[in-house]
Amino acid sequence: MALLRASGEHSGDDFDLSAVLGEKGDDSGIPNAGILIEFAEAAVGHDPARLKAARQAVLDTMGGAALADAAGVAALFNAIDRVADATGIPLEPEKAEMTEGLRSQLGIDQFGVVAEA
Amino acid sequence: MGSLSFENAQVPIRDEVAAALPRVWAGIGQPGTWLTAEQRVAIAAEARNAVGCALCEERKAALSPYAVDGEHDHLGALPDNWTDVVHRIISDPGRLMEQWYRQATASGLSEREYVELVGVVVSVVAVDTFCRGIDIAPPAFPDASPGNPTPETPDALDRELAWVPTLDPAVDGPLQREFYPGGIAAHIRRALTSVPATARSFWDMAFPLYLSGPEMRDFGTEFRAITHAQIELVAGRVSALNQCVY
Repeated sequence: MALLRASGEHSGDDFDLSAVLGEKGDDSGIPNAGILIEFAEAAVGHDPARLKAARQAVLDTMGGAALADAAGVAALFNAIDRVADATGIPLEPEKAEMTEGLRSQLGIDQFGVVAEA
Repeated sequence: MGSLSFENAQVPIRDEVAAALPRVWAGIGQPGTWLTAEQRVAIAAEARNAVGCALCEERKAALSPYAVDGEHDHLGALPDNWTDVVHRIISDPGRLMEQWYRQATASGLSEREYVELVGVVVSVVAVDTFCRGIDIAPPAFPDASPGNPTPETPDALDRELAWVPTLDPAVDGPLQREFYPGGIAAHIRRALTSVPATARSFWDMAFPLYLSGPEMRDFGTEFRAITHAQIELVAGRVSALNQCVY
């Protein structure tokens, strides 16, 4: 999230970061965001028909190399999220401070809290 | 023997990815640091099998996953508590809790076995997700090679950062220089370091699939067929779906 914001700051773009919540992808300012969000959701889901359509949309719009790289990122984060959660590593204090407002705004701080209820 | 190849992929696969993922996959079938090859392959098979488990789906839908008892749809090759660990990491990682981890590692699964187990599980997650993404069948599991594990315990472990012990970055040693280049010890880089071979294998596939540390922060150069912003969008969306705060 912080890197997405930093990427926009570098390029001078004001990306709508709520796109990571699956909302307003095409209005986020990130090219082909809607297509990539749909692909990301389908890649980590278990609906073959949805994945087939999402894959084809990336292929038709962005090409095969983009599909492979998008699949690689989805694969890695589907794994690394589990590394973080299964080992109990905390967010670095400086990163937590840097993203405090953003995490609150997007509701990220509420992830997982139900289990603790 | 099951192996992973991208020769028949319908899209171009970068050389470093085409080299790394088969290497990691083959490694599942080798004796590990604390686990035998048979245990590693059984963990991998259970990780794939956990998708669609009825108990996991019931827990996922529950207000608290710890309030639902039952039996997993399992392959029968692992002890029950190991099976439960694999299934929970697969099905509901965002709601794992330290108390659960403490119970799991006090009931026949050591902390170092747990870390190696996590490494095997996430290797399957990464490979299977990538294969589905590019429309090739997830590979068969490698045969388990004979031989004993090769135990390795780093000297300097920090027990304060996370649930699991991690390699202490405050100590200057060869493992620290390997895993924390430039002295940068991001917490995620520390997560698996109590079992160095597991950490090594994970980052062997992670950098090619995503970006290396310097590439991640070099916003002036695009290293992939999708831009930094598009990469972080996909990464952020997946992490949100996994309810991952990190």
